[in-house]
Amino acid sequence: MRKILMTVLLLVTMIFTGCGGSDSAGGNSKLSVMLGSNVVSLDSANATDIASFELIADCIDGLMQLDSDGKAIPALAESFDVSEDGKTYTFHLRDAKWTNGDPVTADDFVFAWRRHCQKAEEYSYVMGDTVACVKNADAVIKGADPKTLGVSAPDPKTFVVELDAPVPFFPSLMTFATFYPINEKFYNSIAEGSYGTSPETFLSNGAFALASYVPGAANIQLKKNDSYWNAANISVDGFQYQVVSSSDNALTSFKNGTLNVVSISGNQVEHVQQDAELSKNLQTFPSGILQYLSFNQDPKNHHAGALSNVNLRLAISNAIDRESLVNNYVVNGAKATYTAVPVNFAPNAKTGKFFAEDQKKFSNVVSFNVSKAQEFLAKAKAELGKDDFDLQLIYSNDGGTSTKIVQAIKSQVEENLPGVKINLQPMPKAEYLSNVTSDNYDLALVDWKPDYDDPMTFLTLWTTSGCDIAEHWSNAAYDKIIADCTTGDLADNYDARWNALYDAEKILLDNAVIAPLYTGSNAVLISPNVTGIEYHVAGVDRVFKNVKLK
Amino acid sequence: MTKYVAKRILMSVLTLFIITFVLFVLIRIMPGDPFPVERMSAEMILQKREELGLNKPILEQFVNYMSMLLSGSFGNGTSLYNGAPIKPIMTACLINSFKIGVLSILFGTAVGLAIGIVAAINRGKFLDGLCTIVSILGVCIPSYVFMIFLQYFFSYKIPFFPYFFDPSNFLASSIMPSLSLSLFAISTIARFTRNEMLEVMNSDYVKLAEAKGLYGFELIRKHVLRNALIPIVTVIAPLVVSLLTGAMVIEKIYGINGVGKLMVDAIAGQGVDYNYVLALSIVFSALYIGAMLVLDILYGIIDPRIRLATKEG
Repeated sequence: MRKILMTVLLLVTMIFTGCGGSDSAGGNSKLSVMLGSNVVSLDSANATDIASFELIADCIDGLMQLDSDGKAIPALAESFDVSEDGKTYTFHLRDAKWTNGDPVTADDFVFAWRRHCQKAEEYSYVMGDTVACVKNADAVIKGADPKTLGVSAPDPKTFVVELDAPVPFFPSLMTFATFYPINEKFYNSIAEGSYGTSPETFLSNGAFALASYVPGAANIQLKKNDSYWNAANISVDGFQYQVVSSSDNALTSFKNGTLNVVSISGNQVEHVQQDAELSKNLQTFPSGILQYLSFNQDPKNHHAGALSNVNLRLAISNAIDRESLVNNYVVNGAKATYTAVPVNFAPNAKTGKFFAEDQKKFSNVVSFNVSKAQEFLAKAKAELGKDDFDLQLIYSNDGGTSTKIVQAIKSQVEENLPGVKINLQPMPKAEYLSNVTSDNYDLALVDWKPDYDDPMTFLTLWTTSGCDIAEHWSNAAYDKIIADCTTGDLADNYDARWNALYDAEKILLDNAVIAPLYTGSNAVLISPNVTGIEYHVAGVDRVFKNVKLK
Repeated sequence: MTKYVAKRILMSVLTLFIITFVLFVLIRIMPGDPFPVERMSAEMILQKREELGLNKPILEQFVNYMSMLLSGSFGNGTSLYNGAPIKPIMTACLINSFKIGVLSILFGTAVGLAIGIVAAINRGKFLDGLCTIVSILGVCIPSYVFMIFLQYFFSYKIPFFPYFFDPSNFLASSIMPSLSLSLFAISTIARFTRNEMLEVMNSDYVKLAEAKGLYGFELIRKHVLRNALIPIVTVIAPLVVSLLTGAMVIEKIYGINGVGKLMVDAIAGQGVDYNYVLALSIVFSALYIGAMLVLDILYGIIDPRIRLATKEG
């Protein structure tokens, strides 16, 4: 018996001492930050989510970076020149190193950009003619030779990008992770498919390096990268991320000091505000996320295409009290929105005014006006020869707030529009996305996060060839404006382009393709000893380069 | 004996094959698509599906998958989304779940046996009632509820254990999840131990031993427990597998990078990651079938009647 006991004890000791593996943490980080979801990938070609982009930006610098006001300032590019026609950018790189000691060269950018187009993953589209307009990017995404991509490295310190059309926001695009470099020599030296899956298979050139990471890790440790070109201005030794999926867990872990930075939900904001001590740590930041109702206009959908009637769509849009939604249900600093481009987003380069500053611009079609909504409904009923509309509203139930919002929308619409019934259909995110992208819905609650700081990140959604959430709406005039503003005549005329985008937005809202609801906000608790975290509405959400611990 | 073992192995392989087929078909017909990617055009999605062979007939896909599986790779060996390789990640997660699982088995067996023994010795008395209540509660309370309770009291109210799992502080941060996971094992083992012991205690040879003057701990250890343990092992075997293959909710709440969390993430991520879900399901099934196979063979060794029965059958 004793022998057996000893053997068991020995085995247990071996298990706990011998299998430490890659999980051992590094550094003596004191800053602990909540991540709301898993990091999908550290490979910038595969990354699709906020968490991945943030972690990649912690570890890798691009050509440009965002300053605290969200403006693009040089990072790895010490400076850049633009040709007269605005179609060629020449970036002059500074002396910088990867964590293995290799210098960062223009070839690293050429390699990464070609690879991104060749891999044709979800974010490859930003290279193409709807966003960055890199020469031949669309062709490479479809299978052409990557060497035909409009990028070159005449010398190790010069990176040249040729564009199909001038892109006014091109420098700010360079802050986005998809445009970051990858060290080709290192990439080819590791096992296929292993890039970015551990600290050993990932190289940093940015402020921090990985100390501990595995894909899907709930705990990620970062350490300061001493070979960073701006290492002198990084004041923390490192920090750790903790993935926390429940906001209750997040709040409790902040209260007991486990985490220093956590995001909280609308319900919790009310609770925190009632607590004099805790509320001192509460801050809100605009997230740039537009929450809207998508109307499926496919005449083949199972409600006989009632939503293909513009008056029915306008009736629903005007029956929703957006102020009540943000004040009573979202409650985290979100702003009621009456435009297709969210508020506090995309400032005009000349005037500094946000694109959607005038929220009353389209008040004739987007507002909360019950009598007007009922007029639209009467017209819809006459045109469709129907008095009752039974509509299904689908939403992803993975987030906590969505349920309260759709319930409020349902009660407002049903109360203000007699004859319209809304059935709520919650579903897991994967199923929801599958339904939304296969047009299997009547109404869907959609949120869209801007990828870059320009109205186009929203307005390209509704073109005929746009993204996969198709409202089954197609408008030649709308498509033409968007084409003119991306690769057409208006691309190099800033003011004309800006005004044309308003024209496109008008077409969109006159046709009630969507019913904008509100612009999201992040309610965050930050410990008083932590300062310098920068929040941005587009691209990288949070930047920790300037973070300081008291 | 060799024939018996060979037959059992063959049956296990066949079972695994059937399970793999059923899983393969189920995963493809369940709601949710691997490519509900918002930023991809329909054309690009088609291109992706074609590259991965997802547009082929389901049987052809299965044959391809099986041939890759037999050559040692789960599908194309990577996640559909992030291209992360399956094997090393799954192994790392299995090790984490395994470590927590081993601790919870140790807790579960030790505490379960103790409770069962105390209850049996004190049959009909206050302690027996108390132990019965504890084991009923253990079955009724879901382990993750117990986990939240522990987390609230022993990490938040009295900050004794870490609030989240910390790989660098393994032992301290694995106590709470292991305890929660072992709750079911404790009650199951306690109930079985109590019943088996009562049966053995009423047997003639124990009465004889008592008549000989043997009593107390010696009697329990030498005659009762040893004989009562054999059926208990039958209960422990499947418990061991379920504890080793992770606990989805607990791993998610406590931030343990284990196979349970990996499975949840693969199903409830942006889209259904076919490759991961299938690979994990196959590994879980193989572990379970493997444990059953070992148990079957052990039975055959311990009790020749089982071998004979199979022969006759």
